[in-house]
Amino acid sequence: MSQRYWKGMEELRNEPEFNRLKNNEFYENLPLDEVMQKKSDDVSLTPRRDFLKFLGFGVAAASLAACEAPVRKTIPYLIRPDQITPGIANWYASTYFDGYDYCSVLVKTRDGRPIKLEGNTLSSVTKGGVNARVQASILSLYDSVRYKSPMIGGKSASWSEVDGEVAGKLAGIAAKGGKIRILSSTVNSPSTLKVIGDFATKFPTAKHIQYDAVSASAMRQANMESFGVNAIPSYSLDKAEVIVSLGADFLVNWISPVEHSKQYAATRKLDDGKKSMSRHIQFESALSVTGSNADQRVTVKPSQQMAVATALYNAVAAKSGATPVASSASGELQKTVNTVAEELLSSKGKSVVLCGINNVALQNVVNGINALLGNYGSTIDLDNYSNLRNGSDADMAGLMDELSKGEVAALLVYNCNPVYTHPKGADIAKAMKSIELTVAFSDRPDETASMCGYNCPDLHQLESWNDFEPRHGAYSLSQPTISPLFDARQMQESLMNWSGNPGNYHDYLRANWSAKATSWEKALQDGLVETTGGTVAQPYTCKADLSAAANTASATSGMELVIYEKTGIGNGAQANNPWLQELPDPITKITWDNYLTVSPADAREKGWKQGNVITIKVGNSSVKAPVVVQPGQAVGTVGIALGYGRTVAGKVADNRGVNAYQLVGMEGSTLSYNLSGVSIDKTTDDDYVLAGTQTHHTMMGREIVKETTLGAWIKNPKAGNPEELFEVHVGHEKTEKPAEEVSLWDNHEDGHHHWGMAIDLNSCTGCGSCVVACTAENNVPVVGKDEVQRSREMHWMRIDRYYSSDADPKEGESGDIKLMEIPSDNPRVVFQPVMCQHCAHAPCETVCPVIATSHSSEGLNQMTYNRCVGTRYCANNCPYKVRRFNWFKYSDNEQFATNISMNDDLGKMVLNPDVTVRARGVMEKCSMCVQRIQEGKLNAKRAGQPISDGQIQTACAQSCPTNAITFGDFRNKESRLNKLWDPKGRSYHLLGELNVQPNVYYQTKVRNIEEGKEA
Amino acid sequence: MSIIGRIKKSSLTYSLFIVAFFAVLTVSAQDAASTQDGEALFKANCASCHAVKEKMIGPALKGIETRRSEEWILKWVKNSSAVIKSGDDYAVKLYNDNNKVAMPSFNLKDAEINSILAYIKVEAAKPDAVPGGAGVPGAAPVQEEKPIGLYLLIAAIVLLLLAGMLGRVQQILERTVRQREGLPEPVPMSRKAAAIHWARNNKKLVAVLLLVFVSWGSVKGWYTLKNIGVMQGYTPDQPIKYSHKLHAGEMQIQCIYCHSGAERGKVAGIPSANVCMNCHKYVRKGPETGTEEIAKIYKALDYDPDKGTYGPNPKPIQWVRVHNLPDLAYFNHGQHVAVGKIACQTCHGPVQDSMTVVGQYSPLTMGWCIDCHRRTEVKMAGNAYYNDYHKELLSKPGADSIITVSEIGGLECARCHY
Repeated sequence: MSQRYWKGMEELRNEPEFNRLKNNEFYENLPLDEVMQKKSDDVSLTPRRDFLKFLGFGVAAASLAACEAPVRKTIPYLIRPDQITPGIANWYASTYFDGYDYCSVLVKTRDGRPIKLEGNTLSSVTKGGVNARVQASILSLYDSVRYKSPMIGGKSASWSEVDGEVAGKLAGIAAKGGKIRILSSTVNSPSTLKVIGDFATKFPTAKHIQYDAVSASAMRQANMESFGVNAIPSYSLDKAEVIVSLGADFLVNWISPVEHSKQYAATRKLDDGKKSMSRHIQFESALSVTGSNADQRVTVKPSQQMAVATALYNAVAAKSGATPVASSASGELQKTVNTVAEELLSSKGKSVVLCGINNVALQNVVNGINALLGNYGSTIDLDNYSNLRNGSDADMAGLMDELSKGEVAALLVYNCNPVYTHPKGADIAKAMKSIELTVAFSDRPDETASMCGYNCPDLHQLESWNDFEPRHGAYSLSQPTISPLFDARQMQESLMNWSGNPGNYHDYLRANWSAKATSWEKALQDGLVETTGGTVAQPYTCKADLSAAANTASATSGMELVIYEKTGIGNGAQANNPWLQELPDPITKITWDNYLTVSPADAREKGWKQGNVITIKVGNSSVKAPVVVQPGQAVGTVGIALGYGRTVAGKVADNRGVNAYQLVGMEGSTLSYNLSGVSIDKTTDDDYVLAGTQTHHTMMGREIVKETTLGAWIKNPKAGNPEELFEVHVGHEKTEKPAEEVSLWDNHEDGHHHWGMAIDLNSCTGCGSCVVACTAENNVPVVGKDEVQRSREMHWMRIDRYYSSDADPKEGESGDIKLMEIPSDNPRVVFQPVMCQHCAHAPCETVCPVIATSHSSEGLNQMTYNRCVGTRYCANNCPYKVRRFNWFKYSDNEQFATNISMNDDLGKMVLNPDVTVRARGVMEKCSMCVQRIQEGKLNAKRAGQPISDGQIQTACAQSCPTNAITFGDFRNKESRLNKLWDPKGRSYHLLGELNVQPNVYYQTKVRNIEEGKEA
Repeated sequence: MSIIGRIKKSSLTYSLFIVAFFAVLTVSAQDAASTQDGEALFKANCASCHAVKEKMIGPALKGIETRRSEEWILKWVKNSSAVIKSGDDYAVKLYNDNNKVAMPSFNLKDAEINSILAYIKVEAAKPDAVPGGAGVPGAAPVQEEKPIGLYLLIAAIVLLLLAGMLGRVQQILERTVRQREGLPEPVPMSRKAAAIHWARNNKKLVAVLLLVFVSWGSVKGWYTLKNIGVMQGYTPDQPIKYSHKLHAGEMQIQCIYCHSGAERGKVAGIPSANVCMNCHKYVRKGPETGTEEIAKIYKALDYDPDKGTYGPNPKPIQWVRVHNLPDLAYFNHGQHVAVGKIACQTCHGPVQDSMTVVGQYSPLTMGWCIDCHRRTEVKMAGNAYYNDYHKELLSKPGADSIITVSEIGGLECARCHY
């Protein structure tokens, strides 16, 4: 048996489309015939003469245009703020929390404009990591759809008018005893909660309800039942030797993904002599990013998760003397669960079972398992609990009840969009019409805000003051890094004003903090205050009635539906952000859409093909969506992502994909993202075209990912990474030499530095944070769905996703890999970030006719846009397919209106002024953030000090939540880059047999599985 | 009278004359000395708040000697607050009229104060200077250099005349020879035919001429094309007639004082108006344009110089950018000024000597950058950033002690283009 790697089902089936893309990077020919000739059979035309005319006119126009130099104004500050020097970036510590994603961040501002977010390494929660959504939020700040002023009934008004009317109505309602409801997503800001408390004191009929679009409410309820603690625990995955997850996508979406990623990566690294790694087992239905990183992935239907949990509980209980509960697990599944239980038991107190399913009974059973394993107090901390999902489904259900009875007199909506995100959104919308006072604090139009009588736009995160408590005892601050762009006001100030306590929220916040922070200035500078030590985590015993819980499992029939979140769009709040829309989904690699993922087996059986549009019906709701055949999807299930199908969000998001929130079910008051009894029909609609990137820029089927198993690697550090040997003749002797000794070219002489990067395939989770970081740092344009479909996405780095499955060598020999379709139903997955490899012997450099790409003495492969004439020879000759061609002018071009960072004055504020916005017709590619290198060198020269390792970071390396990318200087003997370089171990160059001597190297992926054992 | 007596008499007269002469001389010299001291003292002590003829922070001092007694002035200058405290009506009114800003005490001798008063009196008597009149620096006639082209032109005309004369002589000689030999007259040809005939007989000359012409044309064309977009000498009008020559030259203000970004950042920066106000809060009148141009700063800041207050309607000054690098080129002042220790004048020219209005001195073309990078030595010694690398470069075979920017990769594309 040998491993076969494949990029997608297209490759397995050897489809013509795949082969066309595989063999020709630029498969679309230029439409020269159309330009040159009106009709191909009309020979009387003289196209050559026309061509020369065009050419002559072009040259003349260009020279004339060049003669006239425009008068450029330069307008200095009248009174320059002390800390601003034009051209030098300022950094401020702040916090991003939108009720969904939390990150402690550093904000880079240039001349008063925030242009980039990076992780704050001081935070014990996110430890300097940021995810794709937080990275991209900087662009949301400059979205021109934002409200420009407060509005009354959709008409622009002044704040005094709004205050007068709202305060008056509130007083009237309170006097009558009418119910006032503040609906928000999770609020963990102590000062904001106090402001809301003050408001409730002034208006005693007011109540604050928190509700999360993607709810974890069942977990809180279960913890209440099990341990009497109404909280969601924080986890220390770094202490875990065995991690078992039941449907929790904890690396990219679940509760605190950045925190989990940092911890998880620590257990997966095999550097510095570390010889052990955690073992990760995932039970899930749809292939998630987390599942694709698991050592062992077991596909189960959502309805089987209870059987898994109870079987696991029973297996653990049997060894711990606890009473078993009823379980429906049997056969193969029972066997798998038993081995998993053994592993858990062998790491008692150093293991963790996570469950991402919003089901109270299931969460109770999982609590029972963790309590038996003694994980509370070590890997699970219920005392320093997490405050990132405070929503309560029960409270929301209560509000729905009040709304339906028409009892609510005033509804104030803050930081949430229930009309869109609640399964009964339509009912909320209907009820809102008859509510006396509806106020929306949203800073931009959304489905709920557009229905409210009063719009009191809140400030964006980057414009406002606030405090947060992501984990009990860990506080962080956000501070404004730009003056408010529009006539908006912080929600807190609006509430303070209406409570009869008008003032400045900053002062309120400081007063509230005076008791907490030892030094406000220090807290502000660090962006956080964390009480050292915190509460000591305690062990807990589960008190819930597990046998009752186990009995809630019901037999199901028919197809089951899993509703999940995508890494880019998440809960859909930032759907109007084109960076996120164009970020390929880590698994399907599809951009700009959501779709139904179905298993290959179901697709075979039902005769569905990729792109077929099918109707899915759950209860009274139904949606139509295209099919994506997804290896790894549990048979008998389909999956669909949330966050799409927005209708009032802006030109980027509106009417893209379908809204899956309307399919979310209710189990009692709990929202349920897993549904059974789903009926699915193929429609007669035409096939839908999806823009996926998975088969773009392929490397001609060459073996480029290398992997091994932990056992094999410990025995032989070079396992899975055999040396590339070439057959050569020395004199008349035939011999074999390592590839790097066989070269046509002389070596370059090293300059002062020799930059390079290391990428650890073992740590990379494929989350895509680096791709967005690179987009933000390097002014990479968004090209839109149509262009992505034509393989013209501009991302400087991509994350290749390879599936692998065991193949019979005989199948390989016959060349027919179709037979692999069956084992491909649950493939292994490898993620590989690929950017320009900065080859020392770069094939692109030798073919450029104008020397627009050349080699620097510091090891960089330089790309000079102004010299490039667009022959694309370099791209054709690049073995890694990392060069991108500007087919169009993406800036100031109405046809690329979704590229908002280059097409309106507001959006352009996000551009990095140190990087050129490329013109049409030139090649571009990863520069290894040369602007950061140059800046770092200059700072060192000015300080008169050598550059220390880590002082310069590329955007991708900085943002990586698992530290999979290391940037450094090969000439610095002490650099991490040199220490990680181990050609006798895991290090290898991509396509080493070509000996192009890349300055980027990879580290073999190691799986914690037994050799030859089926994953 | 004896001769001696005559001599004596005359010597006496001489002596008297001499004594009188010297006396007069001394007196006038003393006068001059006291006003001169007065000027120095005035500038050192008073000028930051007072002018002779107009109000600044404090009132105009013209006619002070008639307004107040000498005794009062002496007391006031030595300790003004004491005078105010004593309840002197005039002093209290003066204090209130001037925004209650007390004049500091000056430790000056009576004689010194008197010399200042003398200077004020002399200055007050002078007629008002006409702004922008004669004596404006830079207006002095410059010795015009006779262009070399003129000489060449004259030489060419002389040569042409000579050639014409010689040709005529040859023609006459030919005709004479023909007549003497009895040869027939040549058939007259059209001009074109004649030219072709001539060209056929002088193929080499024609070839050389053609070659010269084509080469000249190509070179000329090349440079014309190359200079498209090169704005060397671009000197746009600016909203304020700010003179670098006056500020950086005569007043010797350091470049960095206003262009403070030059040592640190990418751009040197146009100073914000508050930097101007560091001086122009006090200097309210310039030697060239009087108050007119300085008033524009006040207007931009909405500043009232009499009250010393800022209004609510400031309006930024829109300068015209002189040095425009294309977006595709990255240039950092910090690298050149702070690290490379390049003088500002290397690229910006003799700003302090001749630029009343600043213009683009250098071509700012890539060739110009590259040339400098080839020539300029890197300041490696003493900068720890270069330590090991410096040693490494020096120990290379064939290395000399001068390491230029180009030798450490200063000509590579991605140093400036990204």
